[in-house]
Amino acid sequence: MTTPVIETTGLTKWYGRQRGVDDVAFSVAEGEAFGFLGPNGAGKTTTIRLLLGFLRPTAGDAHLFGRDAFREAAQLHKRVSYLGSDPGFLGELTGAEQLEYLGRLRKLRRRAWAPLAERLELDPSVRIKRLSRGNRQKIGVVAAFMGEEPLLVLDEPTSGLDPLMQREFLSLVAEVRSAGRTVFLSSHNLVEVERVCDRVAIIRDGRIVDVSSVAELMGAHWRSVNLVLDTPPAPDAFDLPNVEVVAMTGREVHLMVRGDVNALLARISSHRVVDVAITTPDVEDMFLRLYRGGGESRPAAMPGEVLA
Amino acid sequence: MTAFRLELRRSRALAIWLAVVVAGYGAIMGAMYPVLKANDALMSEYMQTFPKEFLAAFGMTGVLSDPGIFFTTYIGSWLWPIIATAAALLLGTRAVAADLDRGFLDLPLATPLSRTGYLTANIVAQVIVMAILAVAVVAGLWIAAAATGTVFDVAGFALAGLLSFVFGCALAGATTLLSVATLSRARSSGVIGGVVIAMYAVFVVTQVSKDWAWIAPISAWDHFRTTPLIDNGVVPVFDFALFAVIALAGWLAAIWAFRHRDLAA
Repeated sequence: MTTPVIETTGLTKWYGRQRGVDDVAFSVAEGEAFGFLGPNGAGKTTTIRLLLGFLRPTAGDAHLFGRDAFREAAQLHKRVSYLGSDPGFLGELTGAEQLEYLGRLRKLRRRAWAPLAERLELDPSVRIKRLSRGNRQKIGVVAAFMGEEPLLVLDEPTSGLDPLMQREFLSLVAEVRSAGRTVFLSSHNLVEVERVCDRVAIIRDGRIVDVSSVAELMGAHWRSVNLVLDTPPAPDAFDLPNVEVVAMTGREVHLMVRGDVNALLARISSHRVVDVAITTPDVEDMFLRLYRGGGESRPAAMPGEVLA
Repeated sequence: MTAFRLELRRSRALAIWLAVVVAGYGAIMGAMYPVLKANDALMSEYMQTFPKEFLAAFGMTGVLSDPGIFFTTYIGSWLWPIIATAAALLLGTRAVAADLDRGFLDLPLATPLSRTGYLTANIVAQVIVMAILAVAVVAGLWIAAAATGTVFDVAGFALAGLLSFVFGCALAGATTLLSVATLSRARSSGVIGGVVIAMYAVFVVTQVSKDWAWIAPISAWDHFRTTPLIDNGVVPVFDFALFAVIALAGWLAAIWAFRHRDLAA
C-alpha cells in the first residue's frame, strides 16, 4: 500500500485549557479529493495549521507524504500548495508583485501566475489594498493553483468569490484532480464538497464524527423527509427505529430515515399532513444529522478499505 | 533572497523617512554648531543657571561647544534613542507578531521558505535600516558642520555612529525576541518602550543623585556614552560588546523560539 499523502493519528491540540482538536484521525490517498466539513469553531483551521506545521500537536501525529508535518515543514512545503480563507496579502503590493513573490519562494517560473490571472479576469496591476475581498480571494486562488505541487490544501477557498468564480474554482479543482494531484478541501460549503470530493470527514467540537465517501454520506438507503403538519407533533412522535429527527420547529418536521420507510409512513398517517417531501438527502442533510449528534465517531479508512 | 528583497522593500519607506528626519535634524544642529561655538562664553554662563545634575541627566557635563558633549546633548541623549526605539519596534515586531496578526505570515511559511530563512531576512533588514539611520544622523551633522567651517574628527564621529548602531541593534534584537515570544505587536512594543523609558529614568536619577549611582549600569544610557569616545578617543569596548551581545542573543533566541513555537495568534 502506498504512503498516504495525509495521515493523522490521534492528532490533538489544546490551546492551554481550550480545546482545538481532539484525537483526529484520517488519511488521504494520492489523487484523492478529500472534503473537511464542519461549522465555524469545529477545528477545521486548527487541523489545517497542524498539517502545515504552523502548530505543534499536543498529542498524536500529522504526516504529509509520510513525514512529520511540524519538524519537516519547510521540506514538505515543496510539495504543498496552500490557500487560506482570508489570506493577508500585503496591501502595498500589486497582485502581480504578490504572486511573483510567492512564485519565487516556490521556485516557479516567472509569471507562472499570468495565465490563471487572465482566466479568472484578475487585473494584477492593481494594488491589493484597492481590491475587493472577492478579488483578493482570486489572488489566493491563482496562488494556490499556479504551481504543480502534488497536494493542495484549501481552507474555505471560495469565501468571497461570486458564483461564476466559484464555478471556475470547481473547474480548477477538477483539472487538478484529473492531473492526479491530491486536494484537501476544508469548507462549510456543502455543495462544493459534494461536487468535487471523493470522501468527506466531518468534524464537530474538535472530533471527527464521520469519515466516509460522499456517496456513503449521501446514503443510498437514507431518505430525507420534510413534513408540514396541521398541528405541532409531540416531541416523541417520531421516535422510531432508523428514524432521526433532524429538526422539529412547530408544525415543521425534518426527518432522516434509513431503510424501510413503512413504519414511518404509518406513523405519519396518524397525523394530518399539510405537505410532505421525501427526497434523497444532500450533503447538508447528512451534515446536519451528524452535527446534531446522530453520527458516531468511527475510524478513518483509506478508499477501498473496509472498516471492521 | 526573495524574502530578503521583500523585507528590504517593506522597510524602504520607514528607512527613508526616518533617515530624512535624523539627517535633517543632524544637519540643522551641525549648521548651528559654529554659532554655538562663537557664543561659547554666553552659552556657558546660561548653562550655569541650571543645576549641574540636571544638565548631566541630558548629557551636558561640560562645555556645550565641546564636540563630544555637543553630540551627546543633541543626538545621543534623546534623538537617537527615540529614533532607534521607533525603528526597532516597527521592524522588530513586523515579521512575526504583526504579520501573523494580519494573516500574511502563513503565505511565505506555507512555501519551502523555512522559518529561520523568513526571520533572518527580517533581521538583516533591521541591521541595514539601523545602519542607514546611524550613518544618516552622524553624516548629516558632520557634513553640515563641515559646510559651515567646522571639521569634526572623523574617527570619533564614526565610532559614535557605530555605538549608536549597536545600541539600536540591541533594541531591535530584544524587540524581535519579545515579538516572537508574545506574538503580539502591542505587548512587545509596550514592554520594550516601557523598559527604554525606565532605563532613561534610572539614568536621570543616577545623575541627579549620586546615592543611586550604583544602579546606573542597568541603564543602557550608562553604556551609551559618546562624549569620551568623541572627545578623548576612548573606545568603550565593553559597551560595544554589551550592545552587540544583547542584539545577537536577542536575534538568535528569536530564531530558535520561532522555529519551535506554535503560530497561533
